[in-house]
Parts: sequence; C-alpha cells; structure tokens
Amino acid sequence: MREEADVLGTLLAGDDPNEGAQAAVERRPVIEALPPASRQWGEIDVRSDAPRWGMLVDTERCIGCWSCAIVCKAENDVPLGMWWNRILTDGDGLDTPSRDEHGRLAMEWLPLACQHCDDAPCEKVCPTAATYTNEEGIVLVDADKCIGCRYCMAACPYGVRVFNWGEAEKAPGVEEGMVQARPVGTVEKCSLCVHRIEDGQQPSCVVSCPAQARIFGDLNAPDSRINRLLEDRGGDRLLESKGTEPKVRYLPPRRRRSL
Amino acid sequence: MTSAAPHAGPRPIALDRRGRLSTWYALLAAGLLWGLFSFGYQWANGLAVTGLTNAVTWGLYIVVFMFLVGISAGGLIVVAGAELLGSDRFEPFSRLAVIVSGTAIAAAAISIIPDLGRPQMAWQMLASPQPMSPLIWDMLVITAYLTIAAIDLWILTRARPMPKALWVMAVISLPVAVLVHSITAWIFGFLVARPFWNTAILAPLFISSALVSGTALILVVAWIVRRVSTWDPPDHLFADLGKLLAWFVAVDFFLLSAELITAYTAQTDHHLAPLEMLFGGRLAPLFWAQLGIGVLLPFVVYATPHLRRRTPLLVGAAVLSMLGVFAKRVNILMPGMYDPQVSLAPGIPLGRPGQGFGIDELYVPTWVEYGVVIGITAFAATLITIGVRRWVIPAGSGEATSDS
Repeated sequence: MREEADVLGTLLAGDDPNEGAQAAVERRPVIEALPPASRQWGEIDVRSDAPRWGMLVDTERCIGCWSCAIVCKAENDVPLGMWWNRILTDGDGLDTPSRDEHGRLAMEWLPLACQHCDDAPCEKVCPTAATYTNEEGIVLVDADKCIGCRYCMAACPYGVRVFNWGEAEKAPGVEEGMVQARPVGTVEKCSLCVHRIEDGQQPSCVVSCPAQARIFGDLNAPDSRINRLLEDRGGDRLLESKGTEPKVRYLPPRRRRSL
Repeated sequence: MTSAAPHAGPRPIALDRRGRLSTWYALLAAGLLWGLFSFGYQWANGLAVTGLTNAVTWGLYIVVFMFLVGISAGGLIVVAGAELLGSDRFEPFSRLAVIVSGTAIAAAAISIIPDLGRPQMAWQMLASPQPMSPLIWDMLVITAYLTIAAIDLWILTRARPMPKALWVMAVISLPVAVLVHSITAWIFGFLVARPFWNTAILAPLFISSALVSGTALILVVAWIVRRVSTWDPPDHLFADLGKLLAWFVAVDFFLLSAELITAYTAQTDHHLAPLEMLFGGRLAPLFWAQLGIGVLLPFVVYATPHLRRRTPLLVGAAVLSMLGVFAKRVNILMPGMYDPQVSLAPGIPLGRPGQGFGIDELYVPTWVEYGVVIGITAFAATLITIGVRRWVIPAGSGEATSDS
C-alpha cells in the first residue's frame, strides 16, 4: 500500500530515471561540496585553449586492485552487473597469474574502459548519431537519441560498451552517482567523467588510483604531464592494427613483475 | 478422404475446404497472438528476458532479419530475371512470387523492431539519421524494395497486361535487389572489430544465399498453394525452378568455400578462432549439418533430372535448402559474436545483476525470442495467405469465401 503510494509519488514528481528523455550526463553540484584538499588533489594540471583529453595507463604501476572500477560505478551510477571500467588479468583467470617460458609466475593487468578513439568505429555505425565525439575529443552517448540497436557494441573492438538490458538494480544502500541514470534499452559507457572535466577535475578513476597508475590530461597542451610522459616513454595503443586511434594509451612495464 | 467424394479430381482435395481454411486462420491467429504476447512481455521487462548479453549482443532476431531479407529475392528472380532475359517461362508464378517476396521484405523490416532496446524511439532514425551508418542505408533500400514489390503487384493484377511497365520495373528492381542484400551484408562486413565478418566476399555470399532461399521459398509456397486450391501451374515449372536452384546452390557453396579456405590457409590468429568454432567447436554440428543436409543433399536432387521431376521430392529438397540457408545465417552471425578481440580474464560484464563476467558465454535464445519469431512467421504467412487467395487462386473456385 505504502509502496504503491511512493511509486505514484515518484512518477508524479517525474523522478523516474527511465521516464522520458534525459541527457546522458547531467552535472550535479556535488563537486563543489568536496573539501578543498580533495579538490586540489583532483585538479587537471594544465589545459590549452582547445583541449583534447586523453589518458595514459601505466601498467607497471597498476596493482590490479579494482579501485578505479568500483569508484567509476559509484561516480556514474552504473547498475549491478555492468561496468564501464574493469581490470583484466593477463593469466588464466581473474586471480590466476600467467607463466612465462621459464615457468616463472607473473601478474600483469590491463585496466580497460572506453578508449575514446579518434576514429571511433562505434560512432561511424550509429544510425541516429547518438554516439558522438564532443569538441574536446570525448566519445559520448546521447541517451535521448539511442534506440538500443547495439550496433555500436558489435562495432567496438574493445568490448567496453554495456547495454541496459532491464530495469537497473543498485547495490543496497548505495547512493545515486554524480550523473543521471540511463534509461532501459540504451547503451552506455565511460564518459571520461565529462561532468568532472567541466569543473576542472580529473576523472574519478584517476583520482582514486592508489598506485597513481593513471595519468589524465590535455593532449594539446605541450606541458601537460601526459604529453611529457608520452614523449619520454611512448605509449601503446590497444589493438593498434584496427586503426581506431585511441586517446587512451598504455605504458608497458619496464621490468618484469615476477612472483 | 472423409466423406464421399463424387469424382476423383486431378489431386485429392478435402471437401471441407472451408473448415480447413478456418483451421489455418485459427492457427495463424494463435501464432500472431503468441508473438504479440512475447513481444509485450519483452516490452515490459526489457531485453533482459532474451538470452542476449553484453558479450553476445545480437542473436536470433538478427539471424531472422538476415534470413528474411534473403528469402525476399525470389520475386525478383521469377519476375525481373525472366523479364530481362526475355523469357516468360515463369509467368504463371509471377503474382505468387511478388506476393511472397513483398511479404518477406515487410517481415524483415518488422523483425528488426523487437531487437531494438527502445522501439518507441525508432523515429530517431528519421529525425536524426547518421548517413555513415549502414543501418540507415538498409532502411532506405528496404523501403525502396518494398515499394517496388507493391508496384509490381499492382501492375501484375491489372486486367490489361502491361509488359512495358513490367520491363521498366525489372530494370529498376535489379540494382535495388543487389543493393538490399549487399547492404545487409555490409552491416556486418564493415566492422573491423569482427574479423570473421570483415571480408569482401560477404556481400556476394549474401546474394547467393538469397538466390537459394528465395527460389526455394517460391517453390515451396507454390506447391502448397497448388495442393490446397484449384490453381494449377504445370509440373515442369517446378522442375525448371529446381534446375535453377542447382546453379544457385553450387555458386553459394563455391563462394562459402572460397572464403573459408582462404581464411583457413592464412592461419592467422584472428581468422583461426572463429573457423575452429565452425570446424570442430561449438558450432560444428550445425555447420556440418548445413553443408551435408542443407547443401549437398538438396543439390543432388536439383542436379539429377529424374529426381527433380518428382515434385514432392523437389519440394522436400527446397525445404532443406531453406533450413540450410538459415543455419548458414546462424553460422555467420555467431562466430563473429563469439570472438571478442580483447579476451583477457575475467572478460566482458554480461549485463544483468549476478551474471558476472564472461568471455565465451554460450548464447541460447529464450522462449520470448522464439515466441516473437513465431509471431513474425505467422504475420508473414497471413499476408501470403490473403494475397494468394485474392490474386493467385482463380476466382469462383469455391475457395474464395469465409473467414473466422
């Protein structure tokens, strides 16, 4: 009885996340509430007049703790069963190390989320232009336009897009994230925390990484830390032969991490 | 068989035709309702009620879409092909062929709707089209094809024959037909993420499969209509279609072999995984059945003159051909879907609470997907039944009344 009344109230208030059209990402004034030290820690280092955002993942530093994956779920209100960001293990399983030719055990991780390709295959196949690249190089999904054909998911070589198969379920006691939830029947993925960038803040996976394995910045600003590191150590593109030109790059480990 | 038949006609037809017809309509209505119920259930609960996951994002609905686009080729072969080659051999089949083809392409257009996460937003394809997307091209070319079928039917059902108009339509419809199958193939073939699909032979392969299944369908439907009505095309027409099928099946098999052999001998990693799935993996039973029962067996019937003249045997072979082409659609879609390019553990988040991650999760369609497909099939059969009764079966044959 009470539940029914609540449902009705929610519908009347228009709070149902699945009702009507909403922007994929709608900023909430939460970042302003952060303590100054947190804000300072998360600030983007330098930015040019026309930024082009990119990320560098130092696989030598990554310890495979999944912090970035969990924080991403909370930040972006990603429902149970779905991940925008996850950590792959180079081995036989989630916690099984690989073995080299000498039989030595080794553990390496590949943190994987949207690669924000310059030549994004998902964008080219989308029939309604729901997937688009914004003027700062971030590949985004406009949930208003998404019809849920999942062509983009077939086209993405990285397998980083997830679909809202049914009504979203959240972990008990978990608050809403910093962005609007997406409706049933639409595709979603990493937005590079575009709502934080607008506020001069780095994506939450970068800020939350205890090993500081993620470097985020403006690829158009010559002095940005990401550009200096790319110059010093290069940066691999995942599945480079596919010609997708990702703006997420990977630093290979300089020495082997053996057990 | 039942009550006293006063004289044996050329073919035994049950006297209670009216009863058989209403049974048939009741069956179709049941199928339609079942499809609508399944679709309604999916509408209420989302695509979560299908067997699809974030790893296998396309399944039975897309297989059915590919298959339906393919079988719409029959009308073109019988009408335009004969027209352009200056042969009116299949003229008795032309109305039936156009009805069947138009229905198939309409059903194909409808079959894409349940695959959408938000069918109610499909108008965005018109409001905000993205011209680079093969889906937009496919929407346009399917609309064109449907229009051509409607105009063809209009021309064929005029009291006065209009050979000139028919010829013009044939000239227009040939390139559109080539495009409809090619673009449907390119939906898959353009994807760099799916090496198994990313091959230039995909469009020719879709055309050859379309010729096989389209001709086979005309043969089967024509035979059924001949059994249950007074419409009586001569036997040799069936054998002629069978002869045509021998060529189509051979070309289809050749193109498939050319692709698989080239990919297999290259032995590159990104080619091997999907091929091993077909040759010895989880798709192997379906793949070898496709070749043995769906290609070789019917080919023997089509290619042997005294076998293809036995019409029931020929029709059986045509049914096998259609099943073979359906299996081939599955064997094109699934290896591409089962082949993630980044396949490290734990894999792709499958998408529903508690489902976890997976790399090579098996896709099994649910009752909802089967239900929707039954509904689409019933829809197509209904259109064909109505069309055939109205425009194919000669009037005043005692077949023309009574519904419900």
